[in-house]
Amino acid sequence: MQQNERYRQYLHEIRQCFAELAITPNRSTVLKMTDDQELMTAIQAGNARAYESVVKRHLKSISHYAFRMLGNTKDTEDITQETFLRLWTHADTWRSEKASVSTWLHRITHNLCIDYLRKDKSAITSEYLDEHEGHESPAEQPDKEERLIYLREALAQLPERQRSAIVLNHYHGFSNREIAQIMDISVDALESILARARRGLKAELLTTIKNGSS
Amino acid sequence: MTISSERFAAIVEAYGTEPARWPTEERTAAMVHCATHPEAQALVAEFQALDEMLNQFQVADLSVLQRNVLNQAARTSAGNVFDHLLDWLLPHSERLMAWLWRPALVACLPLVCGVLLADYFSFGIDGVQNSREEELYLLSLNDYTETFE
Repeated sequence: MQQNERYRQYLHEIRQCFAELAITPNRSTVLKMTDDQELMTAIQAGNARAYESVVKRHLKSISHYAFRMLGNTKDTEDITQETFLRLWTHADTWRSEKASVSTWLHRITHNLCIDYLRKDKSAITSEYLDEHEGHESPAEQPDKEERLIYLREALAQLPERQRSAIVLNHYHGFSNREIAQIMDISVDALESILARARRGLKAELLTTIKNGSS
Repeated sequence: MTISSERFAAIVEAYGTEPARWPTEERTAAMVHCATHPEAQALVAEFQALDEMLNQFQVADLSVLQRNVLNQAARTSAGNVFDHLLDWLLPHSERLMAWLWRPALVACLPLVCGVLLADYFSFGIDGVQNSREEELYLLSLNDYTETFE
């Protein structure tokens, strides 16, 4: 029943895709680019309001990406602050024809996270599990909470690039080209990294859940 | 446009089961493939549990960060005189002249200072009166006997 509903939804989305393909060029993309360009020019001139506007627009995505990469609030704050400091001090290095502001900022965060993880790898995996979002108490949903811990554990075990690829793909809605640009790799390489990441996560989670239940 | 079962499997393995995450140019073909092939649906069902688990990973509220990030920009623009000096000295400009004249001006500064200091202190050269007396004294030391012979 649920499957049928899902495939009906697929068919609906197929129709929407065809409708979208008929509209060119993408007006929202053009508007966004102009907007980005204006804001970045203003930031280069030291306009604090433009900076505030960009921070408000991208802070959530950047901090969530850093948190899912690093797994703890303190390092997330450091990396996020450093990313936005670079926006303020190096805004002139952004080129509109190369990347959107969002892609550019995520690329900075990606590089900072990778550098940080490579420098202090041992600390991360142990800290990664210390902090987790506790919306529900373990008594209310023990199974869900336990699975979430397994997931975080499995994510922490992934190599940094695989973790980054899966986080950007699953949580941030970037296209494969944008992710490849953020990670400075080809789309083919990205696909290979993503497939390895998902296979690794799946295998790790299945093993852990099986061991946990037995 | 159609895609093969192998390509569909590769897409699901890499991008998961949500069509929104699939490559834009292959999305429609992949969805058609999924809707018409039972083995593709089985593959989607196999990977669905992983996507559902990934969906559960929510991030803690980091709203306090916004204030810190905005404050740090204010601090950077208000303080650090050295950075301001460097920004002035080496401006972010693609014009060569705009980039050159400030370092050139700074390089000339010690020369100008040197000239001014030398003019002010004269560095061991005494006043006009003293030098005249000194000259007379030196003349008196001359041996004039040879001239009278």
